[in-house]
Amino acid sequence: MSDDSVGVYVHVPFCERVCPYCDFAVVAARRLSPDQEQGYVDALLSELERRAESYAGRRLASLYLGGGTPSLLRPASVARIIRRVHETFDAAGSVEVTLEANPGSLERQRLPGFRAAGVNRISMGVQSFSDITLKRLGRAHRAAEARLALAAAREAGFDQLSLDLILAAPGQALEAFERDLEEAVAFGPEHVSLYELSIEPGTPFALADARGQLRRPNETGVLAMLEQAEHRLAAAGYARYELSNFARPGFEAVHNRRYWERRPVLGLGVGAVSSDPPSARAPFGVRRQNTRDLARYLDCTGRAESAEDRDAEIFDAATARGEAVFLALRTARGLDSARFSDEFGSPPRGFWEASIDELVGRGLLEEAPGGDLCLTDRGRLLSDSVFQYFV
Amino acid sequence: MTDVQRIRNFCIIAHIDHGKSTLADRLLDATQALSKRERRAQFLDKMDLERERGITIKAQTVRLRHRARDGEEYILNLIDTPGHVDFSYEVSRALQACEGALLVIDAVQGIEAQTLANAYLAIDAGLEIIPVINKIDLPTADPDKVAQEIEDVIGLDSADALQVSAKEGKGIEALLQAIIDKIPPPAGDLSAPSRGLIFDSWFDPYVGVVMLGRIFDGKLEVGDSIRMMETDIERDIQTLHVIDPHPRKVSSLAAGEVGMIVAGIKTLTEVRIGDTITHAKNGAAEPLPGFVAVKPMVFSGLYPVEAEDYEDLKTALQKLQLNDASLVYEPETSAALGFGFRCGFLGFLHSEIVQERLEREYDLNLISTAPTVRYRVISQDGESFEIESPAALPDASAIKRIEEPMILATIHVPPEYVGPVLGLCQERRGTQRDMAHHGSRVQVRYELPLSEVVFDFHDKIKSVTRGYGSFDYDLLDYRQAPLVKLDVLVNGDPIDALSLIVHKDAAFHRGTELVRKLKEFIPRQMFEVALQAAIGSKVIARTTVKALRKNVTAKCYGGDISRKRKLLEKQKAGKKRMKRVGNVEIPQEAFLAALKLGDS
Ligand SMILES: Nc1nc2c(ncn2[C@@H]2O[C@H](COP(=O)(O)OP(=O)(O)OP(=O)(O)O)[C@@H](O)[C@H]2O)c(=O)[nH]1
Ligand code: SF4
Ligand SMILES: [Mg+2]
Repeated sequence: MSDDSVGVYVHVPFCERVCPYCDFAVVAARRLSPDQEQGYVDALLSELERRAESYAGRRLASLYLGGGTPSLLRPASVARIIRRVHETFDAAGSVEVTLEANPGSLERQRLPGFRAAGVNRISMGVQSFSDITLKRLGRAHRAAEARLALAAAREAGFDQLSLDLILAAPGQALEAFERDLEEAVAFGPEHVSLYELSIEPGTPFALADARGQLRRPNETGVLAMLEQAEHRLAAAGYARYELSNFARPGFEAVHNRRYWERRPVLGLGVGAVSSDPPSARAPFGVRRQNTRDLARYLDCTGRAESAEDRDAEIFDAATARGEAVFLALRTARGLDSARFSDEFGSPPRGFWEASIDELVGRGLLEEAPGGDLCLTDRGRLLSDSVFQYFV
Repeated sequence: MTDVQRIRNFCIIAHIDHGKSTLADRLLDATQALSKRERRAQFLDKMDLERERGITIKAQTVRLRHRARDGEEYILNLIDTPGHVDFSYEVSRALQACEGALLVIDAVQGIEAQTLANAYLAIDAGLEIIPVINKIDLPTADPDKVAQEIEDVIGLDSADALQVSAKEGKGIEALLQAIIDKIPPPAGDLSAPSRGLIFDSWFDPYVGVVMLGRIFDGKLEVGDSIRMMETDIERDIQTLHVIDPHPRKVSSLAAGEVGMIVAGIKTLTEVRIGDTITHAKNGAAEPLPGFVAVKPMVFSGLYPVEAEDYEDLKTALQKLQLNDASLVYEPETSAALGFGFRCGFLGFLHSEIVQERLEREYDLNLISTAPTVRYRVISQDGESFEIESPAALPDASAIKRIEEPMILATIHVPPEYVGPVLGLCQERRGTQRDMAHHGSRVQVRYELPLSEVVFDFHDKIKSVTRGYGSFDYDLLDYRQAPLVKLDVLVNGDPIDALSLIVHKDAAFHRGTELVRKLKEFIPRQMFEVALQAAIGSKVIARTTVKALRKNVTAKCYGGDISRKRKLLEKQKAGKKRMKRVGNVEIPQEAFLAALKLGDS
């Protein structure tokens, strides 16, 4: 994992309202007051200053503003963040700067401003082009707004657009999902993320699901949707380069790939997660998560002893190995045996001979002559069952 | 050293739940044996399992001091015993260490099956019995009626019966006085060659085997060289203790006393419950009578989930056997489960307790197969042998006939519940022997196949009689029955550990139910799993566990990775508790699916 780059993730916890299936670190802020906004950005920048040292000398490869809803920030705030990150780290060639945006009308007007601030990639949380699906998901926007927002993004000059679609939403029929796919393809983004709705414990959806009120599509239905998606997107020139992500050639997400390749990421903001580079004390790196509590996070501003030390997870070799495999196997490229061997002293077979044989035998895993591994079509459907062999 | 005349050794016996352990609490209180801080309900139920289930599993010994009305201080050795039939061996051993027994009878329930069984055991052992009518505080208590039953049913003089409330501490002083007045002091001969009966033991990681003994003759002192008469092992006594109520070192134990003996024994097989301790030099010529060996009634296989735990299981069984003399076991091999042990138990509850103790006290992860009884097989060439495992049954063509153990069940029940009890017995292939009225209760006797009662018969009796019925049994004989072996095939491979021996008429139904139940237990796998029930080569029922078609986590970025990994680890740990047979992961509970039939 010799890597001299860094990705920066900035978490913006505010959302217009909290969706009933969401379990991110978010706070409902119908209107983000300028004071609140400035206070948070100040805290982010002071955290950046404090923590940059552990990443000193690294070159910036990507900056990702996620949330929450980062598009609730004013372009000036976004500009401040981008500028300071650039001042902190030298760029490694062109830097991917992504901003997650919700297709609301306010955000739409800000798109040119974001562009000017240095954002070069927009990930639009469209989810669906069906009003009824959006409503059932408890989303704030409607399909018409999504269309306008996408058009506005193009107009503002964004030539890297990603679009989030959800599948297996409550009451969603295969045909409805197919229409979503058609419209997405017709619009022609460079990148599509496709997420099956997952029911996270503690959310209102979990409660409704437990009561049997969610009317989620059954397994057969979900499988049909997945199959349709892969088929339709492939026909339109999108490759499934990761389990949930599709892109036209050359438009794979630079930042997100860092996670699957276990490259260092500095995470700033409430609940943000960082992957510190390996050090003498932690030869396989450290993962740490900031507090998920906004008040506490703001409270820690400017203090030497900060909130990010919570839950620091210093990797041992075995845990790191397991993650290396299951993260890499999520990608179409799969697990690079040589790179794995460099880090862990022996190729995957050195650790999981019997498991690999079994999984290959069952048609879930494919092994290249050099020992590289990737999931088969069937393995992609049963990926969690496969990953269990390695953690 | 205490004058033998001022020692009283007694045990508390009763039907389950009649209040033995609670009465023991009151005796501990009355003799100030515990500090305030130490007091808790059923103090002598020390195992977590006992406290969780609210029953006594192990007999416990404790030594109390009591100043009686004559102004003298007496030593009382009390043994609290379990009431459940599966632990009756604990009772029969305790009886031999005592001169008297408190026969506790619930003033509401009256005499029940185990009251009678234990009373007879005590009479046979020549003990002085003091009937104690307990729970007189309850509004529905009817002590006079119970006193009458004591006379009519057991034949004891009800004039001797005491009335107490163990809960409220009523009648305890009188009981203590009766213990001193009525129970004879031990009769041992202090000058005779020493003899001590080992009636319990356990393994202590620091000192090795600890023996609990009752000294009948002579005296043991720390440093003495002793010999175990049956195992013929010689050792030096390292320490002696009395338990009052915690182990306390003493320098000697003399005739009439009860205490712990530590003699540096680390080899588990060197100690046998029922053996006699004597001095290595000038020892006794004859050992004490010891105990009648117990006959296990039900058998099941115990296997480690992880094959490498086999040796640990073996050691654990040895250690547990020290503390549970009614457990028997021998090595067994299963094609499906590998190396394990066929264990014999006194009943189904006993088998459950043994498995739980092994898992908890020895940190093992075990699979138990469905319990079975011991069948007798007479082969075509006239040979007769017994089997304790369905897998051991030869091919049907080689068998002339199979015989199964029969019991005589004695059921005590109030008259209004006789109907449902008879119905239950009929359903279980029973034949009525007779019926008699005893006081306000009816005693029904039925001949039944043991296999029909080992598992849930007792619970069923309880439920059809709203808790008022109770049941005890004795082994009768073996009788021929049309029995067949029901095999289970998983993806075409027979799983020996799932085989059952069933009555021919029930085979189809059981087979269908069994595969249906197994389907509930076996989680979906990455491929389809076919489940079949077969008799010989004939498949009588089949079903499939459909293949898992999708198991994907959608998002996996920075914030989720640790959480997703932990989820994967958790799922993997869940799988580790399953046994892999061929390619199929089978959860532990599935091997007991045969017991869950009918309760869907
Ligand atoms: N009301 C009332 N309840 C009692 C009395 N004695 C015991 N109990 C209750 O009866 C139940 C059983 O008491 P235990 O002392 O555990 O009975 P046991 O005979 O030791 O039971 P096993 O050892 O399992 O056979 C408990 O709930 C006690 O609280 C009593 O005098 N009055
Ligand atoms: S917009 Fe996104 S981050 Fe905000 S509440 Fe909805 S799902 Fe959660
Ligand atoms: Mg008890």
